[in-house]
Amino acid sequence: MNTGAPEERVWLGSGPGARVSHLLRAWPAVLRVAFAGLVAYRAEMVIWVLSATLPLVMLSLWNAAATGGPVGGYDQLAFTRYFAVNLVVRQLTGSWIVWELNWAIRKGELSPKLLRPMNPLVYNFAETLSALPFRAGVLLPLVGALAWWRPEVLFLPSPTVFFAFVASVLASFILAWTVQALFGMLAFWFEQSMGFWSAWFAIWSLLAGYFVPLDLFPAWAVAGTRLLPFYSTLGAPIDLLLGKVDPASTLATQWGWVVALSALAALTWRTGIRRYGAVGA
Amino acid sequence: MRWWPRMHMEAVWALVRAALLTAMQYRASFIAEFLVGALSAVGVAAPLFLVYARVPEIQGWTLDQALLVTGFFLLYNAFVSGIVEPNLGSIVEGVRTGALDYLLLRPVDAQLVLSFSRVAPTAIWELLAGVVVVVGALMRLGAPTVADSALAAGLLVAGLASTYGLWLLVVCTSFWFVRVDNLRFLLSAVTDAGRWPVSVYGRGLRIALTTVVPVALVSSYPAMALLHRLDTSLVLGAFATAGVMLVVSRGVLRLALSRYASASS
Repeated sequence: MNTGAPEERVWLGSGPGARVSHLLRAWPAVLRVAFAGLVAYRAEMVIWVLSATLPLVMLSLWNAAATGGPVGGYDQLAFTRYFAVNLVVRQLTGSWIVWELNWAIRKGELSPKLLRPMNPLVYNFAETLSALPFRAGVLLPLVGALAWWRPEVLFLPSPTVFFAFVASVLASFILAWTVQALFGMLAFWFEQSMGFWSAWFAIWSLLAGYFVPLDLFPAWAVAGTRLLPFYSTLGAPIDLLLGKVDPASTLATQWGWVVALSALAALTWRTGIRRYGAVGA
Repeated sequence: MRWWPRMHMEAVWALVRAALLTAMQYRASFIAEFLVGALSAVGVAAPLFLVYARVPEIQGWTLDQALLVTGFFLLYNAFVSGIVEPNLGSIVEGVRTGALDYLLLRPVDAQLVLSFSRVAPTAIWELLAGVVVVVGALMRLGAPTVADSALAAGLLVAGLASTYGLWLLVVCTSFWFVRVDNLRFLLSAVTDAGRWPVSVYGRGLRIALTTVVPVALVSSYPAMALLHRLDTSLVLGAFATAGVMLVVSRGVLRLALSRYASASS
């Protein structure tokens, strides 16, 4: 990669500043390539998106429970809103790096990716990011159908809450991706890390607010579960948009987790990649 | 492939045993999966505990009664992840790579080979969880009569047969459209609706869950049989659905195999 013009060689230098500017210049192209890749498999993408219907299954249960009156402060409308936002946030924060890393590490397909002048994790992050417009596009008809079926579900948040929600979804997006990457990297040490991921997912579904709004947990558990990383990846933006929690402290917790887990992921990558080389792949 | 399969029981047994031995060789991961099985059982049951901590009953179902449905749903999940998915998933793979040719060459009924050559033994933990939940709920509800238990067992088998037929139908589409792996994810997402008693859903969904995607037959119906809540028409409907699903899926598989041109030729 050092065959370019002299000024380009300077640009590809190894200092951290040079690396960042390299990344910034490559970024638009990477996003474009990743998006083109997704469009090629658009039918599969639609199916993936449609598979995320579990919030609706949960909604049916809580909706049926609330026919006789509100349950723990949630009436049927509140439940519908909660699980509708749940569906949207889950969709916008979806990633697949744990599958990809498991596959790439076990099959040795990581090796060619390591030859690229860009870290494979960063590349996957760009891919995941470029899927966002696509996922949003599929969400539109779903949300539209909901608005047509039950217009009372729609509501207009204040601008402050809305911007806090965007910042919160962004944190959830980064966190959800980072956690998946961490579990994927476990494949450096274990031949197959999907079992660990399934175990995490089972705990996550409960403590993130995926199955149940955390408000409905026993009172002693509510505050504690909101500090855990599970909640920061899904429940936090939902509760924030619905005005159930204080935006400032929620965002602080979320971004705190982003910093901590990203550092852990960077460290894990550095240790793991050495191990990968040692296997001889 | 003829219409009526000749059941080579010893061949089926040999297939299952070989599959078990293959899968058990990863001993460490097999034991680690125990945790996953236990956690997923907790994940399925926990929302029920949280709901019922606040309301005494939902659409005529108490906690213990709803747990029966959950238990049967876990049994269904064990069946799908243990037998249906590994086998039918390999059909999709085989169509794409051409490896299906080797399976079809065997002198045993093709559907038997395609449906029983693989077992994912980790599903045993989910099976165990399902049994524990059903038995636990029954201990609190009181033992059902022998007739009700027999009916529940029959309905469970019929429900498993129906859902197996549906899975086979979905997988058969891979003979026409090669890439359908993701349809399986969609199907398992839809069948997730089977975890609650079918009466929590609206009328339209309720009909869909008993006919189009008959997952309610495998979870709600056996529970209703144990609670003595089924009338004859529902029972007959469940068995009829199972019969239709089996016949239609076998027909479609026959059609698919007759059109299968093999990837190598």
